[in-house]
Amino acid sequence: MEQSQILQQLNDIFKDVLDNDDIVLTDITTANDIEEWDSLYHIQLVVAIEKHFKIKFTASEIQSWKNVGDMANAVKSKLAA
Amino acid sequence: MLFNSIDFLIFFIFVTTLYFALPHRFRWFLLLVASCVFYMFFKPEYILILGFTIVIDYYAGIKIESAKSPGARKRFLVLSLIANIGVLAVFKYYNFINDNITGLCNLFGYDNHIPYLKIILPIGLSFHTFQAMSYTIEVYRGNQKAERHFGIYSLYVMFYPQLVAGPIERPQNMLHQFWEKYTWDYDRVMGGLRLMAWGLFKKVVIADRLSIVVDAMYNGTYGYNTIWVIIGTFFFAYQIYCDFSGYSDIALGSAKVMGFTLMKNFNYPFQAKTITDYWRRWHISLSTWFSDYLYTPIVINKRDWGKWAVVFGLVITFFISGLWHGAGWPFIIWGVLHGIAMSYEFLTKKWRKKTMSKLPVWLNNTLSQLLVFIFLQFVWIFFRADSFRTAFKVIKGIFNYENFFAQVPAFTAALKYSLVVGFVVLAHFLVFEKLWRNEKFQAMLNQSVYGKYAVYAYMFLVFIFFGSFKNAQSFIYFQF
Repeated sequence: MEQSQILQQLNDIFKDVLDNDDIVLTDITTANDIEEWDSLYHIQLVVAIEKHFKIKFTASEIQSWKNVGDMANAVKSKLAA
Repeated sequence: MLFNSIDFLIFFIFVTTLYFALPHRFRWFLLLVASCVFYMFFKPEYILILGFTIVIDYYAGIKIESAKSPGARKRFLVLSLIANIGVLAVFKYYNFINDNITGLCNLFGYDNHIPYLKIILPIGLSFHTFQAMSYTIEVYRGNQKAERHFGIYSLYVMFYPQLVAGPIERPQNMLHQFWEKYTWDYDRVMGGLRLMAWGLFKKVVIADRLSIVVDAMYNGTYGYNTIWVIIGTFFFAYQIYCDFSGYSDIALGSAKVMGFTLMKNFNYPFQAKTITDYWRRWHISLSTWFSDYLYTPIVINKRDWGKWAVVFGLVITFFISGLWHGAGWPFIIWGVLHGIAMSYEFLTKKWRKKTMSKLPVWLNNTLSQLLVFIFLQFVWIFFRADSFRTAFKVIKGIFNYENFFAQVPAFTAALKYSLVVGFVVLAHFLVFEKLWRNEKFQAMLNQSVYGKYAVYAYMFLVFIFFGSFKNAQSFIYFQF
């Protein structure tokens, strides 16, 4: 799957989980840019992403993400594996 | 050494002058010696505890970094965690655990023969052990290089501005600063001194004044009734805020004078509209510590549970947070109530968003802030009361509608004075805190030298007239 497709699907997941239709993700979006995205909802996002793409991350992978680009890359490499 | 003492004034002037006089390569040594002196004012022999954990964590850091196998890395991390938590367990929790064993034994009709330890809690123990653990964990996670300079590593743990009550720093923010060369910068130095003065004002004028009333209420000398309890808990909220944020201001300010930037520890917590929001604004260095090293790993691990993973993570984290604050069940209850409140907010977020959007924004905001503030005051009863007995007496007092004003004449003269002055200084605090954030007011201060010094002179007069100078009071968070 292309990076841009992954980003688009991530965007839909974010809108749904965080209950905010105005979210527009880019590679450099971080939790600071989206009010609803806090440590409580972060894990809900991770679970939704794992379900959607049918993949499973490791704890250290999840903790290494610095922005949405890192998340998309992690999804991409999981799907390729 | 207390920040609000003459000793510290002399210490600060002496150390800061030497700091700027010395070439950069000697400064770490000066700061390390100064930090040792600062610590040893409390109980000199306890410096050995610090020495013990510093040596272990220093070697653990290097070993974690250089170890080849993941197993070895983990072993050295565990060694460091055991050393730090072990020290905490012995000095802070031993007697508490023994108390609980005694309770359990009595329940089943046995006697507990395990002896109690007669020790005084080392000052700031919970703070510097947490900061030390942050170092080895970050090295383990690969976010921080192990520090090879033993003196600099020791200084990371012992840096006197934040040694005994935080902010609990992270190695990524702190370690590199000890290598940097800071020069004298007039504006920065003045900014640091202003922050220190404001912190001292909060402590001496507000916190120590309000504490006289708070202590009288909690001691129960005059009984408990609705208005008296409301005043006492209301004053306690501002006492603890001014006490602790005042300490942090002096810490940040004294570090800033020398060029160091410590992390912000408070962000107007009483403006929070939810408890979740409150924990992003209160003791930020501790809440982010718990979030990074305890809450997040728990929730990631249990994420298959869905929303309940978050609830589980919150309750466990706040249980530990309560225990971090004090070795006693009332502290744990205080923590767990916060965890439950945050879980409630998390589970009902969508519903609340829909319902509250029907109200006008200003009303919604005011109601939310008020509700949060009342909750905080209520749960702080467990935090402040010395036992469950006292806590329940105070809570029962809320519903005792006796006439408070009929009792006031029985108050001592000093208490009556502090009751009235308490409201006066609190009003000053609220106005000043607003003014410091007001851009127009700041611009006015910068434009007019007379205006600036008039404001400073006025604050100084308030400080002299209404400050509480009887004997320098310790800071509340020193006991943790």
